[in-house]
Amino acid sequence: MRRELGTFCLLVVLCVVVAILNPRFLAVANLQNMARLIGAYGVFSIGLGIVIITGGIDLSVGSVFALLGVLLSIMLTEWGWASPLAVGAVILVGMALGWLHGLLITRLRLQPFIVTLCGLLLYRGLARFIANDETKGFGNAAGFETLRNLATGGFLGIPMPFVLLLVVGGLMWVALHRSIYGRYLFAVGRNEEGARYSGVDVRRTVASAYILSGGLAGISGIVFAFYTNSISPSSHGNFFELYGIAAAVLGGCSLRGGEGSILGIVTGTALLQILQNLVNLLGVPSSLNFAVMGAVILAGVVADQVLTRRASRV
Amino acid sequence: MNVFRVTLVGGCLLLGLMDAACSNTPHSSTKKLAFVTNNAADFWTIARKGCEQADSELANVDVEFRIPSDGTAAEQRRIVDDLLAKGVSGLAISPVDPTNQTQMINEVAKQILVLTQDSDAPQSDRACYLGTDNVAAGRQAGELIKEALPQGGKIMVFVGKSDARNAQERFQGIKEALQGSKVEILDLRTDDTDRVRAKSNVSDTLVKHADVAGLVGLWSYNGPAILNAVKDAGKVGQVNIICFDEEDETLAGVKDGAIFATVVQQPYEFGYQSVLLMAKALGGDSSAIPTNKQRIIPTLIIKQNNVAEFTAKINRLRGRG
Repeated sequence: MRRELGTFCLLVVLCVVVAILNPRFLAVANLQNMARLIGAYGVFSIGLGIVIITGGIDLSVGSVFALLGVLLSIMLTEWGWASPLAVGAVILVGMALGWLHGLLITRLRLQPFIVTLCGLLLYRGLARFIANDETKGFGNAAGFETLRNLATGGFLGIPMPFVLLLVVGGLMWVALHRSIYGRYLFAVGRNEEGARYSGVDVRRTVASAYILSGGLAGISGIVFAFYTNSISPSSHGNFFELYGIAAAVLGGCSLRGGEGSILGIVTGTALLQILQNLVNLLGVPSSLNFAVMGAVILAGVVADQVLTRRASRV
Repeated sequence: MNVFRVTLVGGCLLLGLMDAACSNTPHSSTKKLAFVTNNAADFWTIARKGCEQADSELANVDVEFRIPSDGTAAEQRRIVDDLLAKGVSGLAISPVDPTNQTQMINEVAKQILVLTQDSDAPQSDRACYLGTDNVAAGRQAGELIKEALPQGGKIMVFVGKSDARNAQERFQGIKEALQGSKVEILDLRTDDTDRVRAKSNVSDTLVKHADVAGLVGLWSYNGPAILNAVKDAGKVGQVNIICFDEEDETLAGVKDGAIFATVVQQPYEFGYQSVLLMAKALGGDSSAIPTNKQRIIPTLIIKQNNVAEFTAKINRLRGRG
């Protein structure tokens, strides 16, 4: 709990400072904008976090967004599929890719880094090939307005992606922190051998984490596709896996596995998005954007390390 | 056993390569020309159509169109080396990093005819530059801003990377045109070609500057990003949008009046004219290359009155309907 607390404090301090420097930070429109982005980034970050908890990593998420976005656009606009069918197909493809990663990692004992790095290259290439290097879009969404409203609209003034995050986050919180399956995920990440000797089906548990991550990437992918309303296969989702990994680490996940929490991952995501927002609201030069992000993540991790050490010394 | 297999595979590969090399030696009078882009984008799909058109019109040329997949100078170098090995006699390239690729262009220019297109390397020995004058395009956009905001007002400018040459030149053109007017440029915000951030930059601007009167997008995807953010904020009609290039959503926005105007380049002409110019120059017609070594393809202004005609033309070039 301590680790999330550090990030959470950082988040609160940052919000207060930005709100004082520019009161518009608290304007409804701004909160909605941020909630929308936190929702979209949060859903797949949770998936990535779960993979990280099992001691793995998924570098392919950004390319998966490009591939799924392109597929979604083609299904809806060119093939004229019904929205539920297209959404189901996209999430299934995401899960299938996750299953493939899981299979290669658990059956062939390949390293997750290598498997998903190859995925990063492979899916980006496939997306560009399928789209013929053209930007795919949804135009006026004729025939699937409901889906677009679901993906980008709001519920009682709360942006839909954020509602999605609450639902997904809630379900995953139960799965991770209140179920036997969750204990298995942590056990596998902390000590794979030990988990195996305790009778945990390590292969199945690890593979399931990748499938979950793939499915959540599918959901996020749909939200992102409708957020930008167009998918340029060569750049859509570039580096997004790193935002997810950064959010998970900020939220207390250890890249060695076995540690982390849903609340932490969501806090980490929120922190990253607020950083982007404050760069714009406070008029920080765009060129400093990544520097601000890097500095704050580093500060968060350093503070966390110092606090943990001090706590263990007492 | 293994050694045998490796030798066998190696031998086959070698034979294959030799075969390929032999079949690629230039035939009699057919000239091999190459067109190298800087990245993968819709823009180049249209340029490709221009190349293909010229290729089909001219009997004695054979055009190869190459797209670097990661848009880096290193990859362009590899492609150019491959093309030289294949025996091309003319190359039209859009250098990713003109300053640092000048050396490479000079080396290639010693062996074959080299044009720069789309983006110039003015210090190099290229025979000619063919493409847009981005400062002039920026001035056009600046005039459009003044036209849209006769009373003046605050504007924000968006682009992917502010260190890119075309971004700098377009921005400079806008600043030149706006000098002495009542229009105030707030800032230039960048998104590193991440469309999600491109849109959130606009959303944040609308929150921070509630009185912003104009939004300008310098790169192709900035137009749709601005339009979508303005739509989400419910400010269509209250903010004037001026952008560049011809993404589908941009054209749809111009059509329904949400976007005031867009300044478009003519990539089809880049492809078509490059091939024509190279074929003429290689055929011994020295008048093909202008004395100032620049062939400027003008940018066009697309507004509500001419958008339908332009959209039809662009769709035809992209091979749709």
